[in-house]
Amino acid sequence: MEVSVIGSSQAKAVRTDFAYRVLGFCSSRRNDVSFSRKSRIGIDRNIIRLRRSATGFTLKAVLSEQDRATPPAPALSRSHPKNGVSLYVGLPLDAVSEASTINHAKAISAGLKALKLLGVEGVELPVWWGVAEKEANGSYNFSGYLDLVKMVKKAGLKLHISLCFHASKQPKISLPEWVTQIGENDPNLYFRDRSGLLYKDCLSLAVDELPVLGGKTPMAVYKDFCENFKSSFSEFISSTITGISISLGPNGELRYPFDQGRSRKSKLPGVGEFQCYDKNMLGLLKLHAEASGNPLWGLGGPHDAPRYDQMPDSNSFFKDHGGSWETPYGDFFLKWYSQELVSHGSRLLSLASSVFGDTGVSIFGKVPLVHSWYKSRAHPSELTAGFYNTVNRDGYDSIAEVFAKNSCKVILPGMDLLDDDFPNITLSSPQSLLRQVRAACSKHGVDVSGQNSSAAVFPEGGFEQMKKNLSGPDGCCSGMLIYERMGAYFFSPEHFPSFTAFMRSISQPETDMDDLPQEQEVGANEPFLPTVSESGAHLQAA
Amino acid sequence: MSTVITEPLLHHDLRGIRRSRLKSSIFRPASMSFSRQFRCHGRIFYSFKPPRKPFIVRASSFGSAAIVETFDFTDVFFRETFPLRWTETVEGRIFVRLDKEKNDQNWQLTVGCGLPGKWILHWGVSYIDDVGSEWDQPPADMRPPGSVPIKDYAIETPLEKAPSTTEGDGLYEVKISVKPDSTIAAINFVLKDEETGAWYQHKGRDFKVALIDRPHDDNNIIGGQKGFGIWPGALGQLSNILLKGEASHSKEEGTDGASSNEKQEDSCLGGFYEELPLVKQIPVHNSVCVSVRKCPTTAKNILYLETDLPGDVIVHWGVCRDDAKNWEIPVAPHPPGTTIFKRKALRTLLKQKEGAKGCSGLFTLDKDILGFLFVLRIKENTWLNSMGNDFFVPLSNSSNLVQSIKDQSETTHISEKTDGENEEVSDSVYTDGIINEIRNLVSDISSEKNRNTKTKEAQESILQEIEKLAAEAYSIFRSSMQTFLEEAVSESKAVDSPSKVSSGTGSGYEILCQGFNWESNKSGRWYKELKEKAEEVSSLGFSIIWLPPPTESVSPEGYMPKDLYNLNSRYGTIEELKDLVKKFHEVNVKVLGDVVLNHRCAQYKNQNGVWNIFGGRLNWDDRAIVADDPHFQGRGNKSSGDNFHAAPNIDHSQDFVRKDLKEWLCWLRKEIGYDGWRLDFVRGFWGGYVKDYLEASEPYFAVGEFWDSLSYSYSVMDHNQDAHRQRIIDWINATNGTAGAFDVTTKGILHSAIERREYWRLSDEKGKPPGVVGWWPSRAVTFIENHDTGSTQGHWRFPGGKEMQGYAYILTHPGTPAVFYDHVFSHYQSEIASLISLRNRNKIHCRSTVKITKAEKDVYAAIMDDKVAMKIGPGYYEPQSGSQRWSLALEGSNYKVWEAT
Repeated sequence: MEVSVIGSSQAKAVRTDFAYRVLGFCSSRRNDVSFSRKSRIGIDRNIIRLRRSATGFTLKAVLSEQDRATPPAPALSRSHPKNGVSLYVGLPLDAVSEASTINHAKAISAGLKALKLLGVEGVELPVWWGVAEKEANGSYNFSGYLDLVKMVKKAGLKLHISLCFHASKQPKISLPEWVTQIGENDPNLYFRDRSGLLYKDCLSLAVDELPVLGGKTPMAVYKDFCENFKSSFSEFISSTITGISISLGPNGELRYPFDQGRSRKSKLPGVGEFQCYDKNMLGLLKLHAEASGNPLWGLGGPHDAPRYDQMPDSNSFFKDHGGSWETPYGDFFLKWYSQELVSHGSRLLSLASSVFGDTGVSIFGKVPLVHSWYKSRAHPSELTAGFYNTVNRDGYDSIAEVFAKNSCKVILPGMDLLDDDFPNITLSSPQSLLRQVRAACSKHGVDVSGQNSSAAVFPEGGFEQMKKNLSGPDGCCSGMLIYERMGAYFFSPEHFPSFTAFMRSISQPETDMDDLPQEQEVGANEPFLPTVSESGAHLQAA
Repeated sequence: MSTVITEPLLHHDLRGIRRSRLKSSIFRPASMSFSRQFRCHGRIFYSFKPPRKPFIVRASSFGSAAIVETFDFTDVFFRETFPLRWTETVEGRIFVRLDKEKNDQNWQLTVGCGLPGKWILHWGVSYIDDVGSEWDQPPADMRPPGSVPIKDYAIETPLEKAPSTTEGDGLYEVKISVKPDSTIAAINFVLKDEETGAWYQHKGRDFKVALIDRPHDDNNIIGGQKGFGIWPGALGQLSNILLKGEASHSKEEGTDGASSNEKQEDSCLGGFYEELPLVKQIPVHNSVCVSVRKCPTTAKNILYLETDLPGDVIVHWGVCRDDAKNWEIPVAPHPPGTTIFKRKALRTLLKQKEGAKGCSGLFTLDKDILGFLFVLRIKENTWLNSMGNDFFVPLSNSSNLVQSIKDQSETTHISEKTDGENEEVSDSVYTDGIINEIRNLVSDISSEKNRNTKTKEAQESILQEIEKLAAEAYSIFRSSMQTFLEEAVSESKAVDSPSKVSSGTGSGYEILCQGFNWESNKSGRWYKELKEKAEEVSSLGFSIIWLPPPTESVSPEGYMPKDLYNLNSRYGTIEELKDLVKKFHEVNVKVLGDVVLNHRCAQYKNQNGVWNIFGGRLNWDDRAIVADDPHFQGRGNKSSGDNFHAAPNIDHSQDFVRKDLKEWLCWLRKEIGYDGWRLDFVRGFWGGYVKDYLEASEPYFAVGEFWDSLSYSYSVMDHNQDAHRQRIIDWINATNGTAGAFDVTTKGILHSAIERREYWRLSDEKGKPPGVVGWWPSRAVTFIENHDTGSTQGHWRFPGGKEMQGYAYILTHPGTPAVFYDHVFSHYQSEIASLISLRNRNKIHCRSTVKITKAEKDVYAAIMDDKVAMKIGPGYYEPQSGSQRWSLALEGSNYKVWEAT
């Protein structure tokens, strides 16, 4: 952040710059058109300044390079700002309304400026299928998003686009109307659980390549959407837009909607349920069973799996010892169930890389952190979510492989979660799972970017944990951290100050280097932000 | 907030003053806690004078047009003082000492207490050859002066202030001499506080000091043993157990090792000294005074709240814009020191008054706000409200604006005075809290960076820019987030306002599980068995579990209670019961105790050989038995309800009976941890008594069993069961709605409808549900089976194999559904779980609306809250897609349930 880069020698120049920028904003606010050229210049200067300021993030580069046992000269690390962690803040999910207008534009505009001043690298913008292709297949309306992208660009921020082929419950953003109408008559478009409950917030992965959408396959429809997005935003892609993530399932994540029927009232997360009961999934299962010589195994999902809110041992499938999951049948089913998910992920990622591969933007996919019951032998929730990851088997290896094959990066939410945040009884371990997924990714050379868990209220200690995940000994995130999400709570007095402090702490050390010639002064800093001085000391040691 | 736009002006206007303050040493830059700093700010800038004399409020200043106003009480349009009653808990200790009197052969027992109060020792003795556990009065020569005999088994001796003591000024004690050769085996006592009427015991038992060593009489004796054991069998009629824990300080006195030797040699007696913690609850009366006036300049209302409560007082508050008193958070600015609590309410710490006890706060409220709702918090978990409701301050909507703009010089003058004297209320009360809070950050950062003065200024201006922008974004996001507000309101209704929780309904979203059947007593370890299922019960979505009757009983199932205080039953021991309740609480399930108040089995025969003398702690005689049952020769009044002929029916019209029962219920709440009651056979006595019991024991939920026969004509059930449900309604009404009742009517009608394919019965003549649930849904506890109707008794079994139709009905309809144990743990479990999950998901509650869409021979269908549609019966039904679209959520044998999408 600017604040921190200001060394004494640069102070004067930067201040002038700042004054100029403020002027630029004022002008553009008053008259967008006639001053646009002037503000463009202002922005360009901001970008230059931003590069300089990006040195504020180089701590991570230094540390990670140290991890690789190649201690670089401090000057060198500063000249490679790309290696620092850049923070992106999510824009409100409903930033663009269903009518393609910008919701609370004024607030977003003020928010963008505040973030920019804080030294945030960019923002993340969800682009909804249900908004941009709402009316009819092939009829795209990106106007609201274009306006917003322009705003972001004007604010001098980078942009990460999330292409959302799923729907959102809160705020309510549905799938495109023409899709839900088809779904009315063909419930097999959706995932279905054992008791017949349909998950209508995204399409079932079993229809990916079936011509269910007016004669077109969902894959073809997704591809057209991506192509159209690419051409509509071509002037921004790889300049303002630096990354694109593609929705892989419920909430954009690569998983089954295994928790769709969990009651919100239930205090403990149950194991979830398998979602393989729509006609097409059952058909695939039947074929697979016949092919493997056990036709009787293809008649349905496991009969002895617990219900959504139940504990793993309330039925026999996930029992720690002697559970059906460890039988040949269990292995057969879980392999098939997880493989369907992996194939689905592979299809979408290769689609995304075929469309955007030549643009220079990074392509991402989100892998969820299904951490409940991680410490049991069977990992029931991961199994129902589609990850065949148990005490006997690494379920994330094949996932990482798919990302590697398509040169995509992984976004991993839950950077802020601590094992201690969860009751022991749930055998939850977000930290161990994070480590496992990271290890799988690094094995295949896949970059991992972080995201916080999108809890309504940020957990206490979450910032500390994120910092650890960013820079600690098992620090990971190669390039980016997405922080969800701008809104009333984000700017509220309960939250914004701690966010500000977090931003400062991840970018501060550089300032210490510049500002503090003497070690003692680092020490003097300690009571404020121990992690800062710690890192600072670390740097100096290097 | 329109003011946000002009904020920068205001903000710059103040910055000069503020910054100069910030540079002073008052700031603690080490702290990053905003609320704390803000509070600190508050102390610096704003402190309120007691409202005795008018004090200055600078309302708001826009640039140069600053306004000055005074808060005097001449134009107050609302003023009310609310009484606050609460209990303060004081911790002290009781000590018990047994030692030799000086130069004497006699032993002396000293009982003392370190807390002030009018302490009475209520005591008696046991003789060596006594069998049983009754007390006797001590011989006359043992009684200290001032002793008063109580009936024929105890005496009461007041504790006197100890003449000389090093323990401070509040030591009270009594000494009892014991002759060495007496035949007294033990002294039993409890301590009573005359002021509060509270009894103090040890773990619900009497204190017992053994005077001889009886090897078989092991660990339930004070002294010489580690801690107090449990006395088997209850003594006396005492409750209100406030001694906590095991004896925490236990010292051998009389000393130096010799005492233990001596004790071994002297097989009769050894000296000892024990201390036990004691918690006394003292009722305290305070008040809170609220006055409201119009701000003459801004058309806002200014509310001033003042209380004489000691210590830190937090006002937990919200506002409402309609008569429904739904909590909302008003838009910022909020008073200094305010935090938002879980998006539902605001919390403001009141300012301590200078030089006086108590504290006060000032709240500015927009004119469109109709009411100010609050409760007060003192200490961590002590909440004060207005007789069970939130305090409510109505705010007049009539605007009565008085402009009083003074010239600028006066403003300046006053603001200087504000800074100087710290006595006047600054207008910053009205400035946006966020700006200030974020500014604190600026000062933090700037002070941190003070080593480089050159960069400091640049940084500060940037951070000020950030703070301004963040505040702007915050205010817009907040005001435009409708959905967020709605959710907050509905949540606060359900969760945050405990006053809305009534014992008749619980939260309104309760789902009951009957946690036993007729056979549960057979194993002798039901509590343990059920404990293993606690998590499952919770995960299935139940919020309340009903446990079997816990008392010692003549019949193994527990419905023929004898000694109410003996909770060792065929289901397990009292300790296992406590353990079970604790377990359910851990998984967030409330627990109902099954209490039998209608009748009680006697322990002794009277002179005519009739069993009508009770034993145990509540050793009532035949006056406690109703007079109109010749079997038991009761001498009480006539019964206020129907008679249960197998046991003496209790006469609830007797004051002592009611007092004892209330004490017992309170004891169960406290000792066992029960959250509420399932009341057995409430047909037997007047509902008004139940109201009395419930008000005393304050359960979270209570349900009564009022079971009588439906109307039949020539063995065919009448369509109209209004008379039947009216009797149940009458009973609920007599309890003043403090209890719900099992909806026997609905069960009966479901029987006929399903068994005889007469689904038309499920709509009454007015097109509403025909059971209690159609008339008073919030108090109807719907069920299809219980331990009497089903299980191995099968007095009135639900049509076999069709239970799921019954559950599809009760779990989608209003009322509070109860699911029977045998069904929860059967092959129906997953179907029941899905229905419960659907009910919870759609937030169907006890007052949800029902629209019956079909009631024909072979099908019944209804739509609840426009969210859930259901049908039972073999006939065809599909919900109409009108304003909402329906998707089939669940399907089973002859039932279907749809959800609106």
